[in-house]
Amino acid sequence: MTAPSPHVDVRAPRFAAGLTSVVLAVALLTGSGWLVAAQALVFAVGAVAGLRVSPYGLLFRTLVAPRLGPVREREPEAPPRFAQFVGLLFTVVGAAGYLLGAPVLGAVATGFALVAALLNAATGFCLGCELYLTARRVLPVRTA
Amino acid sequence: MSTSGIVVLAVALAATAVAAWWLRTRNGALRTVSDDDEEAGMAGSAAFERLGVRPGDADLTVVQFSTAFCGPCRATKARLAQLQTTRPGLAVVQVDAESHLDEVRELDVRRTPTLFYLDRSGALVGRSSGAPRPDDLTALVDAHAAVSR
Repeated sequence: MTAPSPHVDVRAPRFAAGLTSVVLAVALLTGSGWLVAAQALVFAVGAVAGLRVSPYGLLFRTLVAPRLGPVREREPEAPPRFAQFVGLLFTVVGAAGYLLGAPVLGAVATGFALVAALLNAATGFCLGCELYLTARRVLPVRTA
Repeated sequence: MSTSGIVVLAVALAATAVAAWWLRTRNGALRTVSDDDEEAGMAGSAAFERLGVRPGDADLTVVQFSTAFCGPCRATKARLAQLQTTRPGLAVVQVDAESHLDEVRELDVRRTPTLFYLDRSGALVGRSSGAPRPDDLTALVDAHAAVSR
C-alpha cells in the first residue's frame, strides 16, 4: 500500500468496467485466452500499482475525462481497487483455462468476471466489494 | 467463434440483467423481523449489547455494518449523520464488520452496508442489506424518531 487513502473520479472506475466488459465479451466470442490474459494484466496493474496508473485509468484521464465536464464527485480508491483484485482472480483462472486446454473452465471464469464488470458498468454496483464480508466470514484467520 | 464462449456470454448477459433488476427492487429494502425466528432475535440482542448498542437512549437506533471496501457504506453513513442533526430521537452506531466477525455471523450479515433498526424497547423493527434509497431511509427514520423544528 502506498498513500493512505487516495481518491479517484467516480466516472473512472465505471469507464474501466465498461471497457473491461467489452474486452471480456470479445474474448468469450473469439475464445481467446491471450485476450483474457491481457485483461488479467490490466487488473494486476490496477490492483498492485493503483487505478491511476492502470491502462484504463490512463486512457480515461487522457482521452475520456477531457471530453466530459469537470470532476463532480470523487470516491476512495480502496473499493474499486479491491474489485480489480477480484477481477484478477477470475481472469487468471479464465486465461489459464483457455491456454492450458480447459476452454469450458476458461469461458465460465471469464463469464463470472464479465457479470461483475458489466453490473458495475451498468449500475455502479461493486459485487466484489459487497461480497468481501461474505469471504471474510468463512476465513476466520486474519490474512492481512 | 467459440460455441461455449457464446453460451457463457448469453448466460452472463442474462445473469447481469437479473442481478440489476434484483438490486433495483431489493437493495436497501426493509425486511421485518417476523421473517426471523424468536431464537435468532434473542441471540441478536446479546450481539447488539456486546457492540455497545443501547436502544433505550433513543426512539430509533440504527446499527450500520460497514467494511473498508464498501463504497455505498460511506453515502449511507453520511445520510444517517445528516438525519441525526435534525432528529434528536435518532441514534446511530457504526460497526466495522471486519473487527466484529462473531457478531457478523450471529446476526447473519452477508453484505455491506447492512442496517439494523431497533426501537426504544430494544425490539428489532427490521433490517436492510445494501444502501437504502435516501428517501426510503428518511421515511423510515421519520416513522420512528421525532423531528425537531
